[in-house]
Amino acid sequence: MEPMAEKVKELLNEGRITGFVGLRKQHNQPAPHLFTKENMADLENLVVGDVRYPLNKVLLKLAHRFPKDRLGVMVRGCDERGLNELFKWNQLSRDHVTPVGIACPAALAEACECYKPYPSEWVVGEKTEGISHSKRLEKNETLTQEKRLQYWLGQFNKCIKCYGCRDACPMCFCKVCSIQDRNFILTGKLPPENPTFHLSRAVHMIGRCIDCGLCEEACPSDIPVRTLYKEVGKIVENLFDYRTGEDTKAKSPLNLLGEPTMDISDVNK
Amino acid sequence: MGKEATSQAMNPEKFEPKIIAFLCNWCSYAGADLAGVSRMQYPPSTRTVRVMCTGTISPHHILKAFQKGADGVIVAGCHIGDCHYLKGNYMTIKRVAILQELMKFTGLQEERLFLNWVSAAEGVRFAEMVRTFTDKIKELGPSHLKTSY
Repeated sequence: MEPMAEKVKELLNEGRITGFVGLRKQHNQPAPHLFTKENMADLENLVVGDVRYPLNKVLLKLAHRFPKDRLGVMVRGCDERGLNELFKWNQLSRDHVTPVGIACPAALAEACECYKPYPSEWVVGEKTEGISHSKRLEKNETLTQEKRLQYWLGQFNKCIKCYGCRDACPMCFCKVCSIQDRNFILTGKLPPENPTFHLSRAVHMIGRCIDCGLCEEACPSDIPVRTLYKEVGKIVENLFDYRTGEDTKAKSPLNLLGEPTMDISDVNK
Repeated sequence: MGKEATSQAMNPEKFEPKIIAFLCNWCSYAGADLAGVSRMQYPPSTRTVRVMCTGTISPHHILKAFQKGADGVIVAGCHIGDCHYLKGNYMTIKRVAILQELMKFTGLQEERLFLNWVSAAEGVRFAEMVRTFTDKIKELGPSHLKTSY
């Protein structure tokens, strides 16, 4: 049997988890599925491979509905970063989540420009080198200020305010969403406030975005939102030496008051 | 391009910047008040929004100011260590620093957002800050976001 299916079977049989959130082939398409002890036969159709669909969002919804159950979940490098953050933000309990790891192949790591395409432990896949420099960000660096503005305003102009980026994001868990506030983002207008709508979301991704890419995949207008949030991650790393999801204890700079590490000389450059 | 923006772009001398100044009740607003009471002359470019602490200023507020056509935004709070609510300004500087970098990335001229600490006794510094910043905004010209919404 395939190694991940084996692992899941073991966890379910030992009672260490009551359900496993993974991907199952249904009607020839992979889709999120909850594997339980009662339907172990489903494990025959477990999808493990290049099909990449971060499952933390599904896990979150299940964990909220069944807070006492211990659930397992398939995690890639990005998912594990997501879990580390969700534990710190008190959205999930570490005791109730059992991750089962999969390492990403080189082609996927390159496409995602992922700096750590593997979780801390995995049962499927081989470790590949992370990508340290993002070509997308470097490309933006080559543009002049006017060209950048033209590019980004043009991209944001395509937005149809479907909230797909927000709905797909595994790190978006706010009960009341700021970019849905009628006093802030007017209703009945398309495109939504350009660039406030997208920059607000980018600001919310500080200390939260784990670079899974679901936002960009969900966007029907092909807006390069992932690039924007990659930049946010880089800014936080440069200013605060904080890499989202890397540490299991340290809180993000906007999640923690802390002591002043910056002064006026560090801003207004 | 909007009529106002066109005429301002074509006549740089006639361009009167509109600057939104977020001032905290305890320090910078009092500093601004002192500048006024002392009859100091400084450009009438600022429109003041008094907040209790700059720590309550979200990047949303700053972005909204720019979206609505502000040519520049000043955020002025208490000096580090002197915040009336002890640590509010720690958050302010983090937020503004990140927002400035984000504005730079998207071509929004991060120089239009200015953060400073001004105490209640620093009326002279407040006037000086507004003078310098207004000149800088005059150089930069009207905000490009004036043409939308």
